[in-house]
Amino acid sequence: MNESAHLSGGLYRPEFERDNCGFGLMAHMDGKPSHWLVNTAIASLGRMTHRGAIAADGKTGDGCGLLMQKPEGFLRAVAHEAGIATAAQFAAGMVFLNRDTALADAARKILTRELETEGLAVAGWRAVPIDPSACGAEALKSLPDIAQVFVNAPAGMDENAFERHLYIARRRAEKVLQPGDKSFYVASLSTRVLSYKGLVMPAYLPVFYRDLNDERLQTAICVFHQRFSTNTWPEWRLAQPFRCLAHNGEINTIQGNRNWSIARGHKFATPLLPMADVRPLVSMTGSDSNSLDNMLEALLAGGMDIFRAMRLLVPPAWQNVETMGADLRAFYEYNSMHMEPWDGPAGIVLTDGRYAACTLDRNGLRPARYVILRMPGASEGDSYQGCVITLASEIGVFDYEPQDVLAKGRLKPGQMLAVDTGECRLLLPEDVDNALKSRHPYKAWMSKHVRRLDDEVAEQDDSCDLDGAHLAVFQKLFQVTNEEREQILKPLAAAGQEAVGSMGDDAPMAVLSRRVRPLYDYFRQQFAQVTNPPIDPLREQIVMSLETCLGREKNLFEEKPENAARLLIGSPVLSRGKFERLLAIGGSEYASERIDLNYPATMDLQTAIADVCDRAVAAVKAGKVILVLSDRGIAADKLTVHALLATGAVHQRLVHEGLRCDSNIVVETATARDPHQFAVLIGYGATAVYPYLAYACLHELARNGETGGKPVAKLLDSYRKGINKGLYKIISKMGIATITSYRGAQLFEIIGLAEAVVNTCFRDTTSRLAGADFTDLEDDQRLLARDAWNTRKPLQQGGVLKYLFDGEYHAYNPDVVRTLHKAVRSGDYNDYLEYAKVVNERPVAMLRDLLKVRADVTPIDLSEVEDESKILPRFDSAGMSLGALSPEAHEALAIAMNRLGGRSNSGEGGEDPARYGTEKMSKIKQVASGRFGVTPAYLVNAEVLQIKIAQGAKPGEGGQLPGDKVNELIARLRYATPGVALISPPPHHDIYSIEDLAQLIFDLKQVNPEALVSVKLVAEPGVGTIAAGVAKAYADLITISGYDGGTGASPITSVKHAGSPWELGLSEAHQVLRANDLRDKVRVQTDGGLKTGLDVVKAAILGAESFGFGTGPMVALGCKFLRICHLNNCATGVATQDKVLRQEHFIGLPEMVMNYFRFIARETREWMARLGVRSMAELIGRTDLLEILQGETPRQRKLDLKPLVAKVDGKAQYCVVPRNVPFDQGELAEQMVRDCLPAIEHKTGGEFTYAVQNVNRSIGARLSGEIARRHGDQGMAEAPIVLRLTGTAGQSFGVWNAGGLHMVLEGDANDYVGKGMAGGKLVIAPPKASRFKSNETTIIGNTCLYGATGGKLLAAGLAGERFAVRNSGAIAVVEGVGDHGCEYMTGGCVTVLGPTGVNFGAGMTGGLAYVLDLDNAFVDRYNHELIDIHRIGTKTMHPYRAHLQGVIEEYVRETGSAWGRYLLEHFSDVLEKFWLVKPKAASLSELLDTLRKAA
Amino acid sequence: MANDFQFIQVPRIDPAKKPAAARVKEFREIYCSFDAEGASSQADRCLACGNPYCSWKCPVHNYIPNWLKLVHEGAIERAAELSHRTNSLPEVCGRVCPQDRLCEGACTLNDGFGAVTIGAVERYITDTAFDGGWRPDLSAVKPTGKRVAVVGAGPAGLACADVLVRAGVTPVVFDRYPEIGGLLTFGIPEFKLEKQVMQRRRAVFEGMGVQFRLNTEIDAEAFARLLEDFDAVFLGMGTYTYMQGGFPGEELPGVLAALDFLISNVNHCLGFEKSVDDYLSMKGQRVVVLGGGDTAMDCNRTSIRQGAAQVTCAYRRDEANMPGSKREVANAREEGVQFLWNRQPVEIVGKDKVEGVKLVTTELGPPDARGRRTPQVVPGSEEIVPADRVLIAFGFRPSPQPWFVEHGIKTDERGRVVAVEAQKFKKQTGHPKVFAGGDMVRGSDLVVTAIWEGRQAAEGILDYLGV
Repeated sequence: MNESAHLSGGLYRPEFERDNCGFGLMAHMDGKPSHWLVNTAIASLGRMTHRGAIAADGKTGDGCGLLMQKPEGFLRAVAHEAGIATAAQFAAGMVFLNRDTALADAARKILTRELETEGLAVAGWRAVPIDPSACGAEALKSLPDIAQVFVNAPAGMDENAFERHLYIARRRAEKVLQPGDKSFYVASLSTRVLSYKGLVMPAYLPVFYRDLNDERLQTAICVFHQRFSTNTWPEWRLAQPFRCLAHNGEINTIQGNRNWSIARGHKFATPLLPMADVRPLVSMTGSDSNSLDNMLEALLAGGMDIFRAMRLLVPPAWQNVETMGADLRAFYEYNSMHMEPWDGPAGIVLTDGRYAACTLDRNGLRPARYVILRMPGASEGDSYQGCVITLASEIGVFDYEPQDVLAKGRLKPGQMLAVDTGECRLLLPEDVDNALKSRHPYKAWMSKHVRRLDDEVAEQDDSCDLDGAHLAVFQKLFQVTNEEREQILKPLAAAGQEAVGSMGDDAPMAVLSRRVRPLYDYFRQQFAQVTNPPIDPLREQIVMSLETCLGREKNLFEEKPENAARLLIGSPVLSRGKFERLLAIGGSEYASERIDLNYPATMDLQTAIADVCDRAVAAVKAGKVILVLSDRGIAADKLTVHALLATGAVHQRLVHEGLRCDSNIVVETATARDPHQFAVLIGYGATAVYPYLAYACLHELARNGETGGKPVAKLLDSYRKGINKGLYKIISKMGIATITSYRGAQLFEIIGLAEAVVNTCFRDTTSRLAGADFTDLEDDQRLLARDAWNTRKPLQQGGVLKYLFDGEYHAYNPDVVRTLHKAVRSGDYNDYLEYAKVVNERPVAMLRDLLKVRADVTPIDLSEVEDESKILPRFDSAGMSLGALSPEAHEALAIAMNRLGGRSNSGEGGEDPARYGTEKMSKIKQVASGRFGVTPAYLVNAEVLQIKIAQGAKPGEGGQLPGDKVNELIARLRYATPGVALISPPPHHDIYSIEDLAQLIFDLKQVNPEALVSVKLVAEPGVGTIAAGVAKAYADLITISGYDGGTGASPITSVKHAGSPWELGLSEAHQVLRANDLRDKVRVQTDGGLKTGLDVVKAAILGAESFGFGTGPMVALGCKFLRICHLNNCATGVATQDKVLRQEHFIGLPEMVMNYFRFIARETREWMARLGVRSMAELIGRTDLLEILQGETPRQRKLDLKPLVAKVDGKAQYCVVPRNVPFDQGELAEQMVRDCLPAIEHKTGGEFTYAVQNVNRSIGARLSGEIARRHGDQGMAEAPIVLRLTGTAGQSFGVWNAGGLHMVLEGDANDYVGKGMAGGKLVIAPPKASRFKSNETTIIGNTCLYGATGGKLLAAGLAGERFAVRNSGAIAVVEGVGDHGCEYMTGGCVTVLGPTGVNFGAGMTGGLAYVLDLDNAFVDRYNHELIDIHRIGTKTMHPYRAHLQGVIEEYVRETGSAWGRYLLEHFSDVLEKFWLVKPKAASLSELLDTLRKAA
Repeated sequence: MANDFQFIQVPRIDPAKKPAAARVKEFREIYCSFDAEGASSQADRCLACGNPYCSWKCPVHNYIPNWLKLVHEGAIERAAELSHRTNSLPEVCGRVCPQDRLCEGACTLNDGFGAVTIGAVERYITDTAFDGGWRPDLSAVKPTGKRVAVVGAGPAGLACADVLVRAGVTPVVFDRYPEIGGLLTFGIPEFKLEKQVMQRRRAVFEGMGVQFRLNTEIDAEAFARLLEDFDAVFLGMGTYTYMQGGFPGEELPGVLAALDFLISNVNHCLGFEKSVDDYLSMKGQRVVVLGGGDTAMDCNRTSIRQGAAQVTCAYRRDEANMPGSKREVANAREEGVQFLWNRQPVEIVGKDKVEGVKLVTTELGPPDARGRRTPQVVPGSEEIVPADRVLIAFGFRPSPQPWFVEHGIKTDERGRVVAVEAQKFKKQTGHPKVFAGGDMVRGSDLVVTAIWEGRQAAEGILDYLGV
């Protein structure tokens, strides 16, 4: 069954699907095939089952498969057996046919016809022998008829041509067949490779495909993949590998890439392909990986080789990398002009039958570890004869002898590694790069042909080009308010920073507002959560770029000097100087045309838009390249087409006409003034934006003397910096690194625009509720124009950000706050009812206000409704950290919730152990990206462990606690330095994809098996799909937060424009979970602006069984909604650490919070009685109890809220199981507990021995949990348990390690070693028989020691990327680290006895590091923002020298590292090569104290 | 840069107040002005709350946090511009508004920190701007050629004229008194609002193009002419019928209506007296003032300044429940007024003239529908307070004109002109060309609410005129 049948009419869209996975490749480097390789690849796949997912039937996997070098002998043999005569040159295809034989016959016929048209001959069809019993019930439902087609090439056709003809024939057949036959799919059709894939678990793959057991099936290359899809109705065709590649991760930019592939399809020209026949090149649906595969296939078919093709599609970061050579940079820059990066977490393995290769994305967000084995019996020598390379998401996926290991390593960010099985060569990343850069003189081409606008405009012309007298009309027409001038423009101009605000957005969304709101307000920014990570654009600036390219695009298949002739600008935000220079260039290459967006008031908007599009098309056809869409020519008798409508419509139209890549859209507009507005324009296709009104406003501010005398040029410059920063933030929250990938990607959800508007201007953007149509938008313009030209109407004051009389409605306006204060203080329910009335009867402000609970139901008596004590446990307080809140407020909340039987949430700031076990303990402990104070004792003192993926106020961004709020207490609990600001990274560095989340959930369940694990998400399109994935990752609870929640400080545009209302997110999650048969496995909670019992009832009806409250209880404690939380001066003592304010002005009592919740529970019961519902359980999901109201304004009336209350088939309405138990039972860990428990209980310690494999994950966590539960974090440090282990440890080795647990591992380990470690010791050293050098070999994976607060990690080898990220206390020694080492570190000591990657110490504010820098390259590799480096050879540094020596001595003693021993022996020689790395803010003498304490 | 902790580090400091001993000798304002530094440092105490409670509570919704910020930055002229965006007479409101019940009462800092000195800063802004030569900038205004008659130069009429003239409509303001301001000039004593404030304001208005026709009574005939001569008419005629106690003895000589008394005093001070007998002096008299509102306080304190032997104020509720500004009560007490709370007059006793007031003691009953607690008499609690003069300050009722009816101007059961805000043309009366606002529409209320009404009416008129 396909998904639309389950979910029609609801909020789900197929394009929301996400998938992540485990992947890998194996190859005989000398190209000699074997059947052993097939077996081992399948076994290896089986050892990564935990990276995939299993359906509700327990058997259907989300898909796995193999893509192998064509097993020539086997195919000939089975063809022969089937009576098929293969020619000297033949191809085999794996074809999924419809089970309807008529359709299958038709498909065969068409494919045959197309192949014959290409001059090829179909030799025959072979039924592939399968065993359907290997499939689960879900998979069987859609099982296709699987056949192999054998195609013979005419004699003399060369292999490349044969391959191309196969491609063309297949494309033509697909175009004919796929619209009508959903099953028809060609898994592979090639003379070089063959695919076996299906919807089974890895262990069942050879059961299902009997061919795989045939000893004759021999190959030299296997690419393999195991999928984790977010839904439970995976499709056969979407199993991987695809025809060229397998992909682990997610292409964040997919929508932009797909759109551009259509636009660019018209620029591709190669004599090798009939382009019209094969277009569209890329599937617009299916998975991102599928589309990427399509594009790669098209490039290859067009004659490109896999190396250029892959580097073009997924380039490394090159713009800001100082260490990259000029020639290589020129290669990437040249190629960047022809295609935007396919960006996002990506580990890609591919093969064309000869090469097997792997590429990682620029940020290295997926792991890829390799090992090269010299097979037993192979002769030793320099060549790779007899060697097998295995590369996979994990190391240790099959067992081998240590002495056979030739080399081990990992792929680093942005690298490509390949094996040439034809020539038995290993192509290391630098080999690949060197080969590419020297193919053509790119550098010479670039310097000759590229123009850089930044260089041409040496002096910025920043004079004002808007007449002062006219300014007021422009300001009114384009809705500049005093509030905006004050709160948005001034901070940008003053500091180059977006202003920060607190307490979220409590105003209605644009479509619900009664006021004219800017069109941009209908667009909600999307952001990455769970299936992909956001990026930190500040600390990881190195991967980011706003560089923008103008001029006609060229044909990327041709590499020639003239194709470098483009115009580059550093940012799409144009100054006046650049804008005018751009228009002045002219010539045939840059001819420009200005298109006026103002039209006679007698015309209608839709016609005006069509007219603008026609003019644009005509201009491009006439050879114009730069289209300037300008709203500057306003007049009293004209109206203006909004620049965004025009940009979207022109972009769509040009794409449609195949002209988009011949032109650039430059928008000269008054409408763009804040970063969000720029982002929307660019997201819908603008190449660059000239914000002339914003500039004019800044000139005005300067004229008025409102800017402290700063010169205008400086103001404008810092304004542009601020916008650029804002753009970085917006694209990075979607995990996108370059603006070229963001342009045209339409990464927004539209809430409140009619279908006609969306289809004309914003086609294919998610828009589920309809709303304002062209008439409404035109009315807005008329209204604005009327006031703008009326001189007596002043500039509007504002009111969108803060409450203002007669301004926008605010849900926490003074009346609401005042009545609530009165009610919780008096404890009088009548007072509460007054509050409830103010809220429940407000003008329509939220979506739920348009949903009325039905009044025509037979009520029941209140006494029949379940008791308050049944309802209160469903209430939680939302996560607000101690740090954001004062200790008094935080504890009052905890006491109140505990007394009520609900739960309070610690937030992300740790918790004082003194509160454990008392009524001040938070029962929900949050685990957020900063991991502040997350220790084993913290984790075991909880009923719920909540992973905060995102928060409503600023999804996709990390929190920040200003230095003034970090006092002694906060610093102690967060393991930080008082007075130093604390940064939470935007992503969890251990969650870059869904299988990573599954791993974190597993980590938490290991340390505290009794706790429920909760995952907090923010509503956005697709959150339901993500929720399904989260449920499959074994979460017990899911929270869906609305955009309006959020008490923390965040940039104003994030507060206002990111995230969606919870009504949408909750309904979607409930619908998708039900349709996937997962609703019974997880509890669903919602939060975000819940205020009254009526809110609770509506939330329950939309699918929630638990309810979170953030702002409400804060107000109950005395908060007056001052929105100054970020300043530490909260006058109510709620959100401050200031002593005076807390002690003298905080009036909150637990009783006030208790009153608040009891009132809500009481009101909830009253509503339930009115609805005739006896219990919450009866209420959840009862959408029939809601009716949709008409709406109060024309555009409210045009909203279609039916999808919100759509009925979706499904079994459960709420969770019925006590917990969601993982498939992986962790048997080894349980065995360890059985063995060690007596030693823990009696605190006696002891030594134990075990063998481990990569499937043994989170080893040690179970024991650490048991230790912490009994003795706290460090209580057993004196009598440690020592585990002696051999083998390859699975992910999260030593996670949450407690004091008193020492693990000594002979072997190696995967990602997350020592994550969240609080004490104890982890020692990892290579097996004794190893022959490789430890200081050249990766021994532990990525993100080790993330969030560690103590303990020791000694590992004799290299560590992966992001080593010791957010470390706040652990001591570590390794022999080298990858990129971003010690990022955000706040404490501890890291010694690196070898090279580091780039961006070392970004955001590091505490602790110290020693780095051995033998090649003097460290200076270019560390991040200069917050740290400085010192030599330690001098006399004054003696204490450090002695300390370092001691550190290395201990390291050698524990690990036996030969490299360590060498360094000690030559200590006085290497000493001068060491750097001491410390935060700039810390003095050398302070550090010494820290060292002594740590020792 | 603003100091985030100014509100704790710097306490609320009001501008200096003259000592009571000195101020009872003169009819001069009792509060001094801020200096620039004082204003800036006090203004910086504002937290710029997410919910500006001050602005929410203010009847004209002044952009208080915004102009406080400008004052802190020293941008007085821009503060004055902004202040005038919502208020036509900010320097008056800064002086006479009961801020402790409005903006300052609602100020977040009023809980334990001391509210921001909003009123004093408001006054400082316009005074300072005027002193520095600033005048409202009407240079961009395009004359429309339209003219509107404004009847009554009180706060409602002036506010209406202010908005009209800024929109290019010429207002012609008629008033029966010789000076503009209505009660601002003739009702409010000079110790609260010195008359040069209104004189300066008159000059400013005239400079803006407002025309005044003073000493002009509008009767039926004159009104009919206005309807003919002008594009629209605004009525802002106030409430002048004073409420009576309805108890015996009110007609005795020596019993005076509060407003008559206050007006006579102003006329005396300003030399507008038509005859010497018009002056009603309390010199050497034992005065009892009945009532608890701001008018009662004005009577109390005027009597003191006239040299009354003793001034007693009796009010039927307790101090906490009185309607007047707490600040004014405190000032009155400092100046020597005796208060009798929970006393209700039942009779004014005396043969040919006042000899005393019979009072009964009351206690507060349960709150009524509006939340105010009704006083109830304690049986057997009569007492007589000796008096030579009794001033009755029970408030005012509208004085509907006989000619309203013929022009279709409707009034409600309490005599108030019906002119609602929520209609197509705000504050339009039953006659399409006639608009009304202020006390005659709302009933007796604050200066600031009259200003609001006048401004709203002007918006209605402008929309009506299609300006």
